[in-house]
Amino acid sequence: MGKIEQTKKYDNGTAYLMLSPIVILLTSFVAVPFVYAIYISFYNWGFYQDSVFVGWRNFYLVLTDQLFWHSIVVGLKFALYVIPLQMLLSFLFAHVIRAMGRRSSGIVKTSIYIPTVISGIIASIIFGFIYHYDGGIANYLIGLIGIEKIAWLNDVSTALPSLAVPAIWLGFGISALIMLAGLLDIPDSYYEAADMEGANAFQKMIYITIPLMKNVILFLLVTGFAGALQQLELPMIMTGGGPVNATLTPNLHIFNHFRNDVEMGYTIAAALLMFVVLGSIAAFIFRILNSDKAIDG
Amino acid sequence: MRKKAFALLLSIVLVLSIFLAGCGNDAASGDKVVIDFWANQFEETTDEWFKKWVDEYNQSQDKVEIRLQIVPGDAWAQKLKAAQAAGKAPQVYTMNYSNIAPSVAKNQLTPLDEYTDAAIWDDLLDNVEEFVTVKGEHYAYPKLVEPSAVLYYRKDYFEKAGLDPEQPPQTWDELIDYGKKLKTNNRYGLHIANNADELAWSTWGLQRNGGREAVNDEWTKATLDKHYLDLITFYQRIYAEKIAPAQALSEYTDLQDFGEGKVAMAVSGSWGIGQLRNDYPDILDNVGVAVMPSPDGDHTKPVSTLGGWTLVIDGRAENPQEAADFISWLLAGDTEIMVDFFRTSKFSKFPTRTSVEEALNEDPEGKKDEVRKLIAEKVVPNSVSEPIYPWEISFAYGSAIERAIKGQHPQKALKQAEAEINDYIKKNNLAGINPKQ
Repeated sequence: MGKIEQTKKYDNGTAYLMLSPIVILLTSFVAVPFVYAIYISFYNWGFYQDSVFVGWRNFYLVLTDQLFWHSIVVGLKFALYVIPLQMLLSFLFAHVIRAMGRRSSGIVKTSIYIPTVISGIIASIIFGFIYHYDGGIANYLIGLIGIEKIAWLNDVSTALPSLAVPAIWLGFGISALIMLAGLLDIPDSYYEAADMEGANAFQKMIYITIPLMKNVILFLLVTGFAGALQQLELPMIMTGGGPVNATLTPNLHIFNHFRNDVEMGYTIAAALLMFVVLGSIAAFIFRILNSDKAIDG
Repeated sequence: MRKKAFALLLSIVLVLSIFLAGCGNDAASGDKVVIDFWANQFEETTDEWFKKWVDEYNQSQDKVEIRLQIVPGDAWAQKLKAAQAAGKAPQVYTMNYSNIAPSVAKNQLTPLDEYTDAAIWDDLLDNVEEFVTVKGEHYAYPKLVEPSAVLYYRKDYFEKAGLDPEQPPQTWDELIDYGKKLKTNNRYGLHIANNADELAWSTWGLQRNGGREAVNDEWTKATLDKHYLDLITFYQRIYAEKIAPAQALSEYTDLQDFGEGKVAMAVSGSWGIGQLRNDYPDILDNVGVAVMPSPDGDHTKPVSTLGGWTLVIDGRAENPQEAADFISWLLAGDTEIMVDFFRTSKFSKFPTRTSVEEALNEDPEGKKDEVRKLIAEKVVPNSVSEPIYPWEISFAYGSAIERAIKGQHPQKALKQAEAEINDYIKKNNLAGINPKQ
């Protein structure tokens, strides 16, 4: 008995020790700044004069700012352009990779992963060239089939979809690989049994693949939505939020306030509210899809 | 046991590395006072000029070391904010005129009079001295002024289109008419501001052409009169007639498209001639420079603002005296230093000091420069200062122009801008805080 207890203690000590670095890191870089941010969101906080307590005023300013709500709508629209297409492409691509031979799939996996490690800034610059009005390849290609030049990044209707393309390109590799891992996790015996019952490919997808991929899809949806809503670099570099705020994502709106405002109250309050928005969306997705641990059993 | 020791070691290393990473290296270099100086990144010639004369200053004495850092424009605001938040703002940095009064209102700048010789202020041109003065005190020393809107045009394209290359357009109607004539299948008529941001500040001069600012002096309400409406209509016409490309080929401040012959005329700041002289020397003989066209062709009314850059001392600077000495030496000292600046920037910018202006008139290169003469005589004297009300107000109007370009009715665009400005004034309690009132 005594011996067992001793081992327990020993284990706990090591566990705490091993946890301590990440606990310290999280406390100093996440928990403390977060609490501090909540605290100063109630102040007119500047760098050169004393802070003044203003109560809920900063939150009031954000919540009555049409541009803030507009930016949330832009973020949601952007997510709706990016996520479904990205999921579909990844799903199809994961299937293609699964059906490939070992060597060729290795090459494909590596090459679709490459965009993931390219920074959003670099992608913005590359796509900036592609969408250039006069010398860009996009207008060159549509010129070949006789369509008039399009101001991709400066037309209210095309600007946001034009930003969605590099976003999909950047995020598609990693989600395809995660999908592939999910696919490989499904036991072959399920499909064999289905074959014996005479199920066709479509039925197998609807009744086996998709239900068993539910958790993977859930994960990709939640992280994808959070990522798309928080998009900053692409609109910042490519459009600056224009034309007429058509590409003003929430984070760009907050960032603009950080850059231009003398006092940081609005910026911090907006960032905290953004946190609430992101949390609600994640909760909503979990609610709808109803994550179930036992399902891949 | 070994496992535990290893875990302990690993934790210690990790924890230590966190703490060590947090400590900056404030290594002092001897007994010298070290002053950080951040300069915005401008044209290469300007960056070189800063480097050259900072080196010179560091070598000229052994008490102060100026540590120059050139910061790109798009990183400037967040880098400075981060440094200010951490209490590590540079002691000396560049600032444009329109930021001075708002920064003073927030105690961000150190007043300079206490640390400088009164004579250096007497040397300033009168209208420029006003830019750096808030409630009787000087907060910045100006380096240069540059008109924000000048018209550049290609004489050879004018001839091909049957226009007289010595007769640039004078009115808005003429500008649009010429633009239509100059447009071809692979060339646009005009390079001009294209997005809300550029439209907001590049039109400051034309906004004041009717004599009114966007808000009243007490900052209690928007005063966007018919003149502001006409300006919106003017831009709407430029884009509706497709004289300017629907998506800018290069930014307002950058004349690359004009230099490459993709547009026949360009509206940009006076700095543009510097870029053309440095990067596109082959086309110079065919480049004409003229005053920005106005609604009625009357060139005594403002069409352009005098933007420009100054050096300021941070409100929390530890060595304000040493910092001020450096600024006095660089910008207000030997005229040769400033003449060197204007010479290397190819006379695309204009002096703020009477003595430098006189020296430039004597300079063999400066004397015979026709473009410099034209801008100095016809544009600079009729230009107005940049507004000091918050940027959001200008941006609301710039957005109105942009919306009209994208199809909103000008009247509606103006009404919306007016409502936005009034709302901003109310929410931010601007009434009565104009620092120059």
